[in-house]
Amino acid sequence: MIEIEKAPPFATVQDFGWRTGRAMGLPRSGAMDPLMLGLANSLVGNPAGAAGIEWALGAGTIFASEPCELVILGAGEVLVDGVSADPAHPVVRANAGTRLEIRPRPDHRFLYVAVRGGIDVPAVMESRSTYLPGGFGGFEGRRLKSGDVLPVGPALHSGLGGNVHPRITADPSDTDVTIRVSPGPQWERFDERARETLLESRFTVSPSSDRMGYRLDGPAITSGVTATLPSEAACPGAIQIPDGGQPIVIMPDGPTVGGYPKIAVVVAADLRLLAQCLPGRGVRFSPGPSRTRF
Amino acid sequence: MSIVPLGESAWTVVLGDKVSRALHQRVTGLAARIEAARLPELVEIVPAYATVTVFFEGNAEEMRRRLEALCHHERSEVLDGSHPERSEVISTLHTIPVRYDGPDLQEVAEQTGLSPDEVVHRHAQPEYLVYLLGFVPGFAYLGDLHPSLVLPRRPAPRTRVPAGSVAIAGAQTAVYPLATPGGWHLLGSTSLEMFDPIREPAALLKAGDRVRFEPVS
Repeated sequence: MIEIEKAPPFATVQDFGWRTGRAMGLPRSGAMDPLMLGLANSLVGNPAGAAGIEWALGAGTIFASEPCELVILGAGEVLVDGVSADPAHPVVRANAGTRLEIRPRPDHRFLYVAVRGGIDVPAVMESRSTYLPGGFGGFEGRRLKSGDVLPVGPALHSGLGGNVHPRITADPSDTDVTIRVSPGPQWERFDERARETLLESRFTVSPSSDRMGYRLDGPAITSGVTATLPSEAACPGAIQIPDGGQPIVIMPDGPTVGGYPKIAVVVAADLRLLAQCLPGRGVRFSPGPSRTRF
Repeated sequence: MSIVPLGESAWTVVLGDKVSRALHQRVTGLAARIEAARLPELVEIVPAYATVTVFFEGNAEEMRRRLEALCHHERSEVLDGSHPERSEVISTLHTIPVRYDGPDLQEVAEQTGLSPDEVVHRHAQPEYLVYLLGFVPGFAYLGDLHPSLVLPRRPAPRTRVPAGSVAIAGAQTAVYPLATPGGWHLLGSTSLEMFDPIREPAALLKAGDRVRFEPVS
């Protein structure tokens, strides 16, 4: 068991989410940065999609109630019993009573905590992800708060911990992030000017962005496309253009259907790059490898 | 008909751009046909008003070719009139008991020029079709509402609509499965669980099902 001694403002238990369920309106949910969660899990010998803690928006403290092996990836600094941990050796073999103080990076939105054995909350429809709008999954269907004690499952494999020294690098936060996109279902219906606006403008991530969707500030994308369509399936990464022309990118907890035209879809591998952007970060879109030509 | 990409791992088959029962019958028919083909790469099929979206794993071009073949068969049957899907698709009829004591019933009555009893009567009369699920898990868009009850959404959405609320907006009606923000007019409530994550299946309704509302006191 591990205790969230001091919770950050926003932390939830997440795995890779629900593989199916869209037909009944269940979003994929799961980690906003699945690559980082998967890497964290691998370092402690878990299957990549084991449940871990997605941690955002501030510092906090974890207390090991019993000996355990854990890893914190994407943090700015981790203090183990008050001593700054070497970022090149992120796996911590904690004794009972070890206290880990976690401080975020200024250029990342999410960091991940994986524990050998995984966070052993009950699976709901085969996932341990927290879906906050529905109040189910994860730990009691809610954000973690100070004092929560999380169960840890039995270890399945031996970890890679001692042999791998990952370095999480990122571009400085004053540079723009380039995100590849492929054409969306309504790409052909947007005119040349709208497409150019998407692919040649700089947008910034709006403060009103969350696990459901990221709003982008920047030039309006307007065109002759009917403002709304009969609702049809959407997916994480879909770039919706509502009436005002400000794009909204659907994120893992976002709706499974929608009536706004979707001009493009973020390439799956790049969605985590957008997810990690803090409000105000500059974003540009570029044509990605695609089966349909732009 | 066209097939358009939704990212790298989904194709959307567009059968039309209008909301109608006839078109939706083709949607559920095509969804059933794709399901029956048991494509190994298939992850999930999402039917909507006028589209069928197919999520898959694996080669996109191969999936597109398979879908084109299935759509071709569907189209030729529609053209020659044989279109047998309706009988093949299982459509369950659900009866949902409703206490018509919602906070907006009086206002809806005033806006439509009907008595509250008449609003209830006209809402409970039709057999509705489940067009699609979305917005939140288990939220089913039901149509079509009696034309006299068609109203725009409330100007200011509520920040919290209780789970089980039975509501109308536009030509549609729905039951809120979870407590969420919402801008629909609340006519009443049901005690039925529209979505229960630990039930199998979790959602009470699926696209193509039919629904009746039964007034209870």
